[in-house]
Amino acid sequence: MPSNNVAAAAPPQPAKAGPVAHPDTTAKWFLISAICYFFIVGIIAITIAAKFCWPELLGTVPYLSYGRLRPLHVNGMLFGWLLAADMGLAYYIVPRLCGVKLWSEKLGIATAVLWNIIILDAVVALLGGYNQGLEYAELPLPLDILVVVAWIMFGANIFGTIMTRKYTQMYVSLWYIMGTILWTAFVYITGNFATEFTSGVNQANLNWMYVHNAVGLIFTPIGLAIAYYFIPKSSETPLYSHRLSMIGFWALSFVYVWTGAHHMIHGPISQWLQTIAITFSVMLLIPVWAVVYNFFATMKGQWHQLRDNVPLKFLMSGTVFYLLTCFQGPMHSLRSVSAIVSKTDWIPGHAHMAVLGCFSFFAIAGTYYIVPRMWNTRLHSDALANWSFWFIIMGGLGFFVTLWLGGFWQGWQWNNPAIPFIDTVKALQPIWLVRFFSGVMIFLGIVMFAYNIMATVVGRKAYVQ
Amino acid sequence: MFSKADRSAAWAVGLALVMFFIGGPISTVVPPLVDKSWGRPAPGLKPYTEIQLKGRAIYVREGCWYCHTQQTRTLVSDTKRSGWRGVDSPISTPDEFVYDKPHMFGTKRTGPDLSRVGGKYDTQWHRTHFRNPRDLVPGSVMPPFPWIVEKPEEFTALVAYIQTLGRAKDWRPDKDYEK
Repeated sequence: MPSNNVAAAAPPQPAKAGPVAHPDTTAKWFLISAICYFFIVGIIAITIAAKFCWPELLGTVPYLSYGRLRPLHVNGMLFGWLLAADMGLAYYIVPRLCGVKLWSEKLGIATAVLWNIIILDAVVALLGGYNQGLEYAELPLPLDILVVVAWIMFGANIFGTIMTRKYTQMYVSLWYIMGTILWTAFVYITGNFATEFTSGVNQANLNWMYVHNAVGLIFTPIGLAIAYYFIPKSSETPLYSHRLSMIGFWALSFVYVWTGAHHMIHGPISQWLQTIAITFSVMLLIPVWAVVYNFFATMKGQWHQLRDNVPLKFLMSGTVFYLLTCFQGPMHSLRSVSAIVSKTDWIPGHAHMAVLGCFSFFAIAGTYYIVPRMWNTRLHSDALANWSFWFIIMGGLGFFVTLWLGGFWQGWQWNNPAIPFIDTVKALQPIWLVRFFSGVMIFLGIVMFAYNIMATVVGRKAYVQ
Repeated sequence: MFSKADRSAAWAVGLALVMFFIGGPISTVVPPLVDKSWGRPAPGLKPYTEIQLKGRAIYVREGCWYCHTQQTRTLVSDTKRSGWRGVDSPISTPDEFVYDKPHMFGTKRTGPDLSRVGGKYDTQWHRTHFRNPRDLVPGSVMPPFPWIVEKPEEFTALVAYIQTLGRAKDWRPDKDYEK
């Protein structure tokens, strides 16, 4: 194995080796509530997809109109499902990589309770139209403050655990989780508080610094932390290269924050700032390819495991989606490409590949891997897990690919002003219909996943090895 | 330097923050200081009146901005699509948006861009269109908003806001703005 530092690259095996018994109460609470939101918000998701095909649907109920359900879908999936699942997985991973118990399970449970309060309040606020009007930052100010409090509680617990760790050497997942906690604090404050004091283009620039880095410096590092842990774990293979993981991490920490203005290419924002954003967007290829090469090289000689290892299927297809979505991103930021795809349906295709195709796949893989272990049992059904993978990936591909094709076509039509705008809307109808049915397929996969996990937990039997 | 961050959490934290804080301020705090046009109102730009602000709040509340952008980009097709009766619209510039809080530039165009829509359609058109967009634009996928039309004070405020959009630049030669 051509590893630069085998001792550091091999993920520790403390669950068996160490005498530490992990109660995992916090991780359990976070994961179970995250899966509930995944299911509930999935219903919202197919409802808004249906509204593109049947615009009268639920059309006379203000609380169920598109403009109120869309922010609920976005915030629900980002914060209710994905971030909560990622935090749950971090509460599982960090104590094991440190060889000690979680610093405080009580604090962790309090964090889980607070997080659920935030999400439930968010549902009420968004359906009621209490929307701040900034993307990803729709939640009203009191809830923003609660998010910061919850994040400090999460950070204290994770850093507390790392400070008391038994192993000096920190595995790459730990840096990524620490980075996530620090960067999220500043990114979130910029997007939700600094925007309160600005207006116009200045506010838009802060807003898009937050929007872009919500993905780049929140979901990316915590998602990669999870993949770095579970790819070696579930394939029982040491990580290929410690040095490559360092290059990926430090390049990410430097490059990502510059790119926010690429959301306004050709728009009313300074050209030089657009150029900076484009330059750094292209540089993102460095951390991405470093990470992806590392994952693929780890799998060398191990690909046969993909045949019946469901977590690994999710992890490696998530890696492929990561590679693709992070190739699209830099390409979109180029002025010539942006002139076609920007503001079209291509963009939701791209965004869903990042958040669903990549980071949700990593979170699902982690959940499938740890839930049987946390409850000391076996997964309810391996066959159902396999079906959930195929439904989500086939539905996902249908979703992404149709929106790329449709979005690209739409962009071409917009660039020909002889075509009336309404004709470019009518042209997209078949695209939206395919998207709706792909969405239903993804949702069925989510139902299988959620049912499988719940049945594992509720119907568990003690599993004797 | 970076390998120290392997073993020391303090180093990891410090370096992660240093790397972040090189790009963070340069891309957020510095640009408005360098490009003064971000904060200087355009010559024809007036602050919103009370009723226009009320209408704007409805625009925000109903999530209009998820499907309608408000920016005529530096693309020929954008200036033609935002144009009116054969006259191309000027591109959007930062000084037109100084009073916009929250900004409504948007990221997705499911419906047409609204950066120059002010004065194009009259109140009666908007009333019919909000009640059921497909009565005026067959094939539209815009949701109906009957609860706005049924509250005259909300409807009047929303239309008052819409009629301001893009008016800072007095770009239409015949000045045939609808009220």
